[in-house]
Amino acid sequence: MLPLLPQLLCAAAEKAIARLITMDPDARPRLARLAGKQLSFRLKEWPITLVLSATSDSILFNQHDEPVDCAIQTDMASLRLLRDPSQLTRLIKADALQIDGDIQVAQQYSGFFQQLDPDWQQSLSRYIGDAGAHKVGHSLAQLQQYLSAKSQALQQMTTELAQDELKLSPGKTEMALFSNAVSELAAQVDVLQQQLLAVQEL
Amino acid sequence: MTDQNSTTHFGYKTVAAEQKVSLVANVFHSVAAKYDLMNDLMSLGIHRLWKRFTLDCSGVRPGQQVLDLAGGTGDISALFSKRVGPTGKVVLADINASMLKVGRDKLRDLGLVNNIDYVQANAEALPFADNSFDIISIGFGLRNVTDKDAALRSMFRVLKPGGRLLVLEFSKPEQEWLSKVYDLYSFKLLPAMGQLVANDKESYQYLAESIRMHPDQDTLKAMMQDAGFAEVSYHNLTGGIVALHRGYKF
Repeated sequence: MLPLLPQLLCAAAEKAIARLITMDPDARPRLARLAGKQLSFRLKEWPITLVLSATSDSILFNQHDEPVDCAIQTDMASLRLLRDPSQLTRLIKADALQIDGDIQVAQQYSGFFQQLDPDWQQSLSRYIGDAGAHKVGHSLAQLQQYLSAKSQALQQMTTELAQDELKLSPGKTEMALFSNAVSELAAQVDVLQQQLLAVQEL
Repeated sequence: MTDQNSTTHFGYKTVAAEQKVSLVANVFHSVAAKYDLMNDLMSLGIHRLWKRFTLDCSGVRPGQQVLDLAGGTGDISALFSKRVGPTGKVVLADINASMLKVGRDKLRDLGLVNNIDYVQANAEALPFADNSFDIISIGFGLRNVTDKDAALRSMFRVLKPGGRLLVLEFSKPEQEWLSKVYDLYSFKLLPAMGQLVANDKESYQYLAESIRMHPDQDTLKAMMQDAGFAEVSYHNLTGGIVALHRGYKF
């Protein structure tokens, strides 16, 4: 990894989050409840610890291994599943997720990011006017709906395909029996081959 | 470093120890207005990442007391100020009034007003009580100090037990080829840039010379240990052009 890359990423993330927070008028009151709390996040595939520190008006990013209020360690594959609270226990049991410290801090951070709703149209209107911003916002909302519907349909189709395939595919016992039969047949073929060789030598 | 006849280095020149303070002061009075712009130009903006690395190594927490020594235009103070929060305090100290003024104006423009104090102070004789700070940082300042050993002892005195000192300073490149490229850049390009942007070639000539006269990584480490700091270590940044030294007071 490039030296100083974590610092570059932290600086960029800090600026981006600060901008998003200013675009959401309801973000600051929610942020005030988080102020002073630190959450660290570490991916097994990437050996740096990202630390998030909330202040009254922004979230700061750092990279260090000092003690924090709550430390989360997980892997890339489990990252997407963290959004679903019902998966947490399963991930912890499977050693795919490790949480040290106050889990409420992690939940508060998660809640904050999920509720973050920047008013893009308001910011965009400064550059292209109210009507233009509304039109762009409306088009983007329609595109988002379309993509979401398509994604759901694709997911549904994949699930149905998998279920159909599951019905057709052999079960574990069936596979074991088939495997035994193949081994038996192979043994019989070997015996037959030996017998044929013996007949040829006569 | 001063010798027995009380002379010291000012770049490549040898001057009387008491003369260095005013000579360095003149350099910084001269460059203060264009200091940030020149830093960005000279380092292509990388000085911001070196400062963030310093912050990452500080382990700063809300409520802590931080001394940003030779804080100049306040880049490091700004980073610390946001992190110590309303219950903490950052003291931006600099010997040079012009730099302090630029720093104060800049931080106020950024809205950082509640937890920063400004003090004009000489690093060799810090005007603070013993055991006052959790963290002391000195970024690109130690090489300008006349008596570095006295300054390190002074920092050790005002640091709380368990506190840490971070010295971010130009140092010695690790590779020979980088050293040659760096020399070419420092002695040819840098003064020319100083002339073009800040209309001040001499100050940037001094900058290049003072970097070469500054103790290398291991010498500075030994100096920190002599001053009383424990577990002293350093990280080379950008091939050793800059090094961050860290030491603890126990």
